[in-house]
Amino acid sequence: MELSRRSFIKTAAFNSAMAAAAVLFPGVTFGVWKDNNAGSSSITWKKTPCRFCGTGCGLLVGVSNDRAVAVKGDPNCSVNKGLCCVKGYHSVQALYGKDRLKTAQIRKKGKLVDVPISEALDLIALKMKETIKKHGKDSVSIYGSGQWTIPDGYVASKLFKGCIGTNNVEANARLCMASAVVGFMTTFGLDEPMGCYDDIDHADVFITWGNNMAEMHPVLFSRMVANRKEKKHVKIIDFATRNTRSSLASDKSILFNPQTDLAVANSICYEIIRNNWVNWDFVKKHVSFFKGKTDIGYGTEDHFKFTDKLNPVDIDGYKEFLKDYTPEKVEKISGVSAKDIKYLASIYGDPTKKVTSFWCMGMNQHTRGTWINNLVYNIHLLVGKISSPGNSPFSLTGQPSACGTVREVGTLTHALPKGVVMSAKHREMAAKIWKVPVENIDPKPTYHTVEMFRALDRGDIRFMWIQVTNPMVTMPNLTRYRNGAKKDDRFVVVSDVYPTPTTDIADVILPAAMWIEREGFYGNSERRTQHFEQIVPAQGDAMCDTWQIIEVARRLGYQDKFPWSQENYIEEIWNEYIQFHDTPKHRMAPYSLLKQRSGVQWPFVEGKETKWRFNAKYDPAAKGKDFDFYGKPDHRARILLRPYEPAAEFPDRDYPFWLNTGRVLEHWHTGSMTRRVPILHAAVPEAFVEINAKDAANLGIVNDGKVKISSRRGSVVMKASINGRGNPPMGMVFVPFFDESYLINEVTLDAFCPMSKQPDYKKCAVKIERV
Amino acid sequence: MEKPDYKLGKVTISFAVICLLIVMGIIGNGLMGGDDTKSSIQSGVLIAATAGFDEKGAANFQRFESTSLAYLAGTSSDRNLEEFYSRRQYSGSPPFIPHPVDDQFGAEKDCLSCHQNGGYTQKWKRNAPVTPHPEQEMCRQCHMVKKTDQQFVDHDWLSVPPPRLGGSHLPGSPPPFPHPLQMRENCIACHVGPGAVTEIRVDHPSRGVCRQCHMPEAAHIEPFDRDS
Repeated sequence: MELSRRSFIKTAAFNSAMAAAAVLFPGVTFGVWKDNNAGSSSITWKKTPCRFCGTGCGLLVGVSNDRAVAVKGDPNCSVNKGLCCVKGYHSVQALYGKDRLKTAQIRKKGKLVDVPISEALDLIALKMKETIKKHGKDSVSIYGSGQWTIPDGYVASKLFKGCIGTNNVEANARLCMASAVVGFMTTFGLDEPMGCYDDIDHADVFITWGNNMAEMHPVLFSRMVANRKEKKHVKIIDFATRNTRSSLASDKSILFNPQTDLAVANSICYEIIRNNWVNWDFVKKHVSFFKGKTDIGYGTEDHFKFTDKLNPVDIDGYKEFLKDYTPEKVEKISGVSAKDIKYLASIYGDPTKKVTSFWCMGMNQHTRGTWINNLVYNIHLLVGKISSPGNSPFSLTGQPSACGTVREVGTLTHALPKGVVMSAKHREMAAKIWKVPVENIDPKPTYHTVEMFRALDRGDIRFMWIQVTNPMVTMPNLTRYRNGAKKDDRFVVVSDVYPTPTTDIADVILPAAMWIEREGFYGNSERRTQHFEQIVPAQGDAMCDTWQIIEVARRLGYQDKFPWSQENYIEEIWNEYIQFHDTPKHRMAPYSLLKQRSGVQWPFVEGKETKWRFNAKYDPAAKGKDFDFYGKPDHRARILLRPYEPAAEFPDRDYPFWLNTGRVLEHWHTGSMTRRVPILHAAVPEAFVEINAKDAANLGIVNDGKVKISSRRGSVVMKASINGRGNPPMGMVFVPFFDESYLINEVTLDAFCPMSKQPDYKKCAVKIERV
Repeated sequence: MEKPDYKLGKVTISFAVICLLIVMGIIGNGLMGGDDTKSSIQSGVLIAATAGFDEKGAANFQRFESTSLAYLAGTSSDRNLEEFYSRRQYSGSPPFIPHPVDDQFGAEKDCLSCHQNGGYTQKWKRNAPVTPHPEQEMCRQCHMVKKTDQQFVDHDWLSVPPPRLGGSHLPGSPPPFPHPLQMRENCIACHVGPGAVTEIRVDHPSRGVCRQCHMPEAAHIEPFDRDS
C-alpha cells in the first residue's frame, strides 16, 4: 500500500487542522477533563515515590501551571521500572477533591469554625501546656502514621520524647507491621528485610502467605508474573484463607483455616527435618534454637502486660517440639491436606530451587503475629534459603513510610531513632544528638496504640494529636474508642487533608499539605529511602505536618531544639537524623544523592547500596566468608519454637462465621483520598460483604441483597457480593474497610498479639442475616 | 480509504502553518524555565520515552511481521478521538474498561484473547482495540470497570489538552510523535487496523519501521549548538 502524494497532503493537512483546533480554541478539547489553559507541551516531569502502599513505586508527576496534571511510571526507579497500578496513575487527582481542608478549624460551642492557622497552633500549644500542668506529661500524646514522612516522625519523636519527656508517641503502623518488627527483632535482632525486590527476578518459586498481592502490591505481583512468563519454570503458590485475584493468577492455591498457618509452618519444618532436607552446614554455623512462653493471652483487657522469656534448646528439643506437627495431625486442624503440606515442604527443601516467601497483613494482623513471622523464618533458616538473591523471607509493608518513618525513626512508644528507650546507651545517644538533658527521655514505655486509645477513654490521656491517619475508621472495636475520644475534657487535634470521621470528633483541625505539596522522604519495604521535593504549592493555609509540629514546639518554648528555617528544614532534619544511623549496618545516603536518585537503599556504605544484608558477599557489615547474622550477640539467627494456639475468638453456635477484613486494589486504607479520585470511586463506589455462594444460598442471600453482619460488639448492614473478585470459603465473610458509611471496625475485636501489640483484623466471630 | 474528515484538511493548510508558529512559541516558552533540576530529569524522561521502542525493537518488528496485511489495511469508523479521550483522566492515563467484565475472571490474561491481536468481536459488535503492552498480563491492575458515574465528592481536576495531531516541522513532513512511548512502544497497536482510532490511523500501515520517519516531539529537545 503505497502512500500517494495526494493522500499524504490530505493527512498532513488534516492533522494540522486538528492541531489548529486544539491550539487556537483551547476551550475545544477532546478530553473529559477541564483544560488548565497551558497547552499540551507545557508539562515538566518531577520524580516522587507513590503516595499509596509500601511498594514505593517511582512516579513521574507531570506539572503544568503549578498543578499536577499527569503521571507516568518512573523508568529510572528499580522498584517498578516504569509501571504503576491504577492508584499510582491517578494518585495526583487525590490532591484536588473539592472538599480539601484549606483552613484551620476550632470547635467553638460544639461547632467547627474557620480560624487563622496561627490561632489554631496557639490553642494547641496552650492546651498541651495546661494538660501537662494538670495531669502530667504522660497525659499528652501524638498518634501518627506510616504515611508520615521521615521528617514528620522525627520531629514528633524529638518533641514528645526528647523535649516534653513522654513516650506517648505511636503510629497506625502499630496496626500494620508491629508483628513484622517483633518477628525480625526476635529472630535476627535487627529490623527490616534482608533481601530486596531483586529477589523477584531471581526466585524459582514464590509462596505467598495470606497475601493478596495482585490487589495489595500489584506492581510487585506483576513483576513476579513477568518473571514467570520469561522463565517458564517459575511457580507462584498462593497459601491463603480465601480465594482472591492472586489465587486466580497463581499456579496453585492452597486454602487453610484461619490461624492454622502456625501449625502448617511447623509441619513444613517437621517434613524438612524428616526428609533430611536441612542445610546442616548453614544451621550449625548460623542458627541457634530457643523456646519462649506459651499460652500468652490476647490482650482484650485493659492494662494487659506480657513479656516473653526465651530459653535455649538444642536440635533434639526442636525435633521433640515438632512431633505435634506431623502433616497428618496438622491436616485435621488446618484443612490443608497432608499432601499439600508435604508439597510445600518439598519446595522449601529442594536445594535446586530458590524460594521467596511474601507476606503482609495476613501474618501481621494476627494474635500470634510475631510467632508466625518467626515460624516462616524458621523454614528459611532450616534450609539456608535466606540473604541471597532469590532466597528471601520477605515481609512486605502496607504504607509508603511504615519502614522509613515508624520503624527507622522509631515513632513507637518503646523506640528511639536508634534503639529503645529502655537502653541507657540509646537514651544517651538520642540526648546528645537532640541536645537535650538525658533525664528528659523516660526509660519506661507508656502505651501501645490500642492501649493509648483505651487510656484516652479512661482519662489517663487527655490530649491527642492525630496526624495523617483516620483512627475513627480503623481502630478495632471502634465504638469504645470513638466514645472515649468524644468524652468531655478530652482534646483531640487532627491534621488531615480531607474531612473524615476522625476530623468529625476533632477539637482542632489543621489543614495539611499533602505529599508533593511539601518536601519529604518515605522509606519502602526494601530499605529504600525516597526523597520528593515540593512539586506543587500547598493549597490555602495547608501546612506541612513537620512544620506544624515545629510551630507548636516553638510555642512550647523549644525554639532552640527546632531552629531550622522554612527554606531548608527538611535537609537540616535529614542531616541531624542520619547521625543516629551512622554505622555500616544502617548508614543512610546523603541528602544530595537522595535528591538525584529514585530512591537509595540502606545500608549505604562507601557509595554503595546493600541489596542483601547478613551475607558477606553483599553486605560490608557482615564478617566472615558467607553469612553473618550480626543483629544477635552470638552472630546467629534464631529458630524459635512457637506452637499453634487458637484465635482469640472463633466461630461458635451464636456467631458461626469468621469475619476477615482488608483492602481492595482501588482504595487506599480508609478511602479518604482514593474515594476522591474519580475512576477509583467509580470502580468501587461502596463496600460490600463477600460471602460464599453456598452460604448465601443457605441464608437466602442474593448478590447486592442487604446483609447484616453482627458480632458481640456491633453490627453493620451492607450489600452482599457473591462470586465477586474475592471468594471466601464456606464459613467466612470478607469486608473491605475503606468505606466510612459501613464501619466494619465496629464489629471487629481489639485482641492483639501479646508480643507486638498489633490487633488481629482478620479473625473474629460474626453472624450473618439477610435483611 | 476515503475519509470524509479529510475535506476539513483541504482548506486549512495555510491555517496550519500559522498554528505551527504559535505552537513553536509555546514550545519556546516551555524551554525557558529556569529550574536547574528540570533539564536532567527531562533528558532522563526523553531517553525513557524513546528507549522502550529500541529495547523492544525486535518484539515490535516481530509483531509487525506477524500482523496480516489484511489487518494492517483494515479500517473502521468504530472509534474516534473523542471516545478515546472520554475513557481517560488525562492524556496517557490507563483507560477504563467500557464493557462489563466477569469479576471471577480466571486468568487475568483472558483480556488478551481479544486485545492482543484485535479483530471484530461478535459480542460487542465492533473491532477490539489492541493493547500496546500485551506483555503486561495483570490488566486489571490499571484498567477498571466503572460501576457508577457519580462522584464521592466533586473534584477540581485540570490537565493539559491532549497532544496536537500533526505538528510537522515543514508542511507535509512526517509528523513527530507527540506522546511518550513508555507502555506504548508498539506503534502499530494503536495506529493501524480496524480497532484503531480513526483520526490517528496511518494510511501507510505497511511501512513497519515507524521511527525511520517519525521522531520525538521537538518540545523536549535542545536546539543544536556547536559552541555548547
